[in-house]
Amino acid sequence: MKFTRKNISKTLTYLVLTLGIVIVVLPMIYMVSTALKPNGALYEYPPKFFPKLKEITLENFAYILSQKKFIMNFLNSLLVSTVTVLIAAFVSSAMAFCIARFRFPGRKFLFTFIMLTMIIPGTTLIVPQYELAVKLKTINSLTGLIPFYVAWVIPYSTFMIKGFVENVPRELDEAIYIDGGSVFTVFFRIMLPLTKPGIASVSIFNFLTAWEEFPWANTVINDDLKRTLPIAISGFFGQHQFTQWGYVFALSVLSLLPILVVFIACQRFFIEGLTAGSVKG
Amino acid sequence: MKQKTGQKVQIGLLLLPGILIFGFFTLYPIAKLFVMSFFKWDFGSMFSQEFIGLGNYKEVLSDPYFQTAFVNSIVYTLVTVPAQMLLGLLIAMLINNITRFSIGYRVAYYLPVITSWVIASLVFKYVFNTEGLLNYFLTNVIHLTSQNVRWLDSRWGGMSVAMLLGIWKGIGWNMVVFLAALQTVPKDLYESAALDGAGTLQKFFYVTIPSIKGTILFALVMLTIGGFNVFTSIKMITDGNPGHKTESVLTWMYYKAFSTGKFGYSAALSFIIAIVLAILAVIQFRMMDHNKLE
Amino acid sequence: MRTSKKTLAVLLTTMCVGTFGTVNCSAEEVTINFWHHYSEQSAENETLTNVLIPEFEKENPDIKVNAVSHEWGDLHDKILISAKSETLPDVARLDSAWVPEFQKMGILVPLNQEISDFSETADSLLESAMSTAKIGDDYFGLALNTNTKIMFYNKKAFEDAGVEVPQTMEEFVEAAKKLAGTNENGQQVWGYEEPALSGWNLCPFIWSMGGAITNEEQTQATGYLNSPETVAAIQMLADLYSENVITGWNSGDIPMTDGFGTGRYAMIVDGPWKISELEGAYPDFEYGTAAFPAGEAGSYSVLGGEDISMFNTADKEAAWKFMQFMTGEFAQEEMAKCSQIPVNKNTLESDTVKNADFAPFIEAIRTAKSRPTVASWSEIDSELATAVSAVMNGEKTAQDAMDELAEKVDALLAE
Repeated sequence: MKFTRKNISKTLTYLVLTLGIVIVVLPMIYMVSTALKPNGALYEYPPKFFPKLKEITLENFAYILSQKKFIMNFLNSLLVSTVTVLIAAFVSSAMAFCIARFRFPGRKFLFTFIMLTMIIPGTTLIVPQYELAVKLKTINSLTGLIPFYVAWVIPYSTFMIKGFVENVPRELDEAIYIDGGSVFTVFFRIMLPLTKPGIASVSIFNFLTAWEEFPWANTVINDDLKRTLPIAISGFFGQHQFTQWGYVFALSVLSLLPILVVFIACQRFFIEGLTAGSVKG
Repeated sequence: MKQKTGQKVQIGLLLLPGILIFGFFTLYPIAKLFVMSFFKWDFGSMFSQEFIGLGNYKEVLSDPYFQTAFVNSIVYTLVTVPAQMLLGLLIAMLINNITRFSIGYRVAYYLPVITSWVIASLVFKYVFNTEGLLNYFLTNVIHLTSQNVRWLDSRWGGMSVAMLLGIWKGIGWNMVVFLAALQTVPKDLYESAALDGAGTLQKFFYVTIPSIKGTILFALVMLTIGGFNVFTSIKMITDGNPGHKTESVLTWMYYKAFSTGKFGYSAALSFIIAIVLAILAVIQFRMMDHNKLE
Repeated sequence: MRTSKKTLAVLLTTMCVGTFGTVNCSAEEVTINFWHHYSEQSAENETLTNVLIPEFEKENPDIKVNAVSHEWGDLHDKILISAKSETLPDVARLDSAWVPEFQKMGILVPLNQEISDFSETADSLLESAMSTAKIGDDYFGLALNTNTKIMFYNKKAFEDAGVEVPQTMEEFVEAAKKLAGTNENGQQVWGYEEPALSGWNLCPFIWSMGGAITNEEQTQATGYLNSPETVAAIQMLADLYSENVITGWNSGDIPMTDGFGTGRYAMIVDGPWKISELEGAYPDFEYGTAAFPAGEAGSYSVLGGEDISMFNTADKEAAWKFMQFMTGEFAQEEMAKCSQIPVNKNTLESDTVKNADFAPFIEAIRTAKSRPTVASWSEIDSELATAVSAVMNGEKTAQDAMDELAEKVDALLAE
């Protein structure tokens, strides 16, 4: 008796989960299917969720890929996100290591301040940050994006990596110091290798942040060829009341692909890292 | 421990890049924001600013457009935060109970999280278009409505679509966070609760919830900040229309700064939001501490 | 792992070269930045990037043009922001309604004072169009193209409904009501679509029905913006909207071109670019054009058009060469081919123009009126849209909304 009841609840669990997935994934499938429709069919009647097999066309993708500027937009996003991730990974793990392991004047103040800034939504700072970017003459350049992105992700990254550092036994540090090793030795030989999963997961998150960032890039970047992908996608909405949804979604699908690849390849890291900090909290 | 000075220098060197970047690109703008909020600062006074004390704050607080945006942001947060957390927790508990395909489910539920806001917003805008697929389904397929619903064209219609998007996009994050928390709950707690004759619901309220309290608080604080941070979805879906009735605090701040050049106003607005969020965070922490004592 | 790292490194290097390397190939070359709001996928943009700029660069080998397309509203905001950050382009194509605002900010070059051969170039352009760039005694730009809006109607829908093309406002209301309803698929069809509620959209109705935005001197709105005529125009639109006869400005509505091309909107009022747009998107669609319906005061459409202006941070010599080129016969004729109405007098005499499909627009331009040429127009425009949208949604009566608005606009005009 018990056995079957268990089975029923199991089946029910799978059923509910699968139904949930269908609802969650539906909009994304619709996006892909729209990108595969001919552009003229977008206000067709009746609207179709899937195009007919013989209607499927790659013309939207072909158009996007034939435009040099979209290729540049793609490379821009890749460059900005990669550099942001690399700098943020080093800077945040160094800070996390120092805060977790040493007592120095202002330590508490620094950590509290970093935590406090997590409370402030990034976009509220856009006006003074814009003033700063003007002074640094980094308006309309990709270098105007990177330091701001790094600064945005530092608090969360430091907080997360600090959790990983604290899980590394102190005895390992002590052993190095006894052997005459320096702080650098501990950081590079012990901390970086041992907190790699944490750094990796934070980095994926940071990559995503930089990859999809919209308000700042939209404010700072002017030139077509310097735009990142989110700006390029939003650029399809012109004045003349005429939007080519096929192109919009084709570019969207293409811009999702790298994220999808990174995510599926590293999902184990990602989920581990995301939770390490929160569970303790 | 011997070479104290050498150590200090090295610690300093490790901290330096972080402190520089953080200080320069985050702390300085915060300070600047604070200062700007007390000056009349717009295109007309681009090169000379006049100190007006709390003038900007008064203007913001008495501005009906701001009040509308503020209410919108509050409602957005009050609706999306609990909804995301409940659905995320529910799915996490279901996934926690199964053995097969759990990774597959996790990945699938996480997909909306990694979809960028710009893209997700456009998909929702397209689906909820008055002539879009959803209305066709409601009117012509299941005949729930006789006329197409104007989802995007009213204050609460537009806000609802934005909120739905927020929930859709947030479930995955909550699921992952709660899943990790659930896995730390000791199994024997459930077993002893079962021995005491506790049912599923009782187990949930007396074992699960207290065990993951820390995570709930963490999610609550993060999501509240996220709720007030809503920008891209509103900008993309309604752009504040009709007549600025669907603005969030941040889209309204952005509009005032970059479309009308009222930088002082925007600075004061930003600061008000930061203060509200700080107060909310303190209250949330207090509430949790209070619960702990009981 | 190692190979992938290498690939990444190579990729990054090539990207750096690609991204930063091309900016300054040789030091003597001047690059001028030109911002405009020809939409990205338009024929105008194609002509600009594939015909005009290559030709200009051939004629001036030492000048490179970096053309940047912005969405119309974005361009206005971007220029405001860039003025603050001193990152203005050299030259921009400006909606002529913005010129007073930018002039007041002191970022535009008074061409007649700073350019020695200004008057020669200016004389080759239409005086009426040049007047949009004139503030006080100075000229802050060259007219680039002119336009106005006329009515487009769906021929088949008119035949099916047995409706004549409306010539007066009453006939227009009548026709719109008859054309609205449902089509054979059971889908809603509207008699008329208006894509927004700003001055560009409302002014033709207000003016033709005898109303106004401000007095002649552009110093006062009370008594004009809330006059019985203006209120009647707004009320008429609100009534039509509540009866499901017109729509278009809502976020969820079908975009104008798509709705018109697929038969969901029977009438629209728009500029000459609509011709090439329809040609591209709905080549088989049959439509006719007519003048904007005449109200009690007559038929007054709104004068559009763009000026090309130079910012005071510009490389003046190169910028002026480009402005002369864009208003010269070659560029004007090429742009005329994609429905941009030229302002160059010689081009207007050319065969391209005589055979152009925008002939009806040239007629309408004679009576078209400018929106108020005041520095605060952008703000007034946005307040107008907000006020009228409240009327449309039934939150305020037309009279109340316009009374409140007139008071606000008075304050803005006084600033």
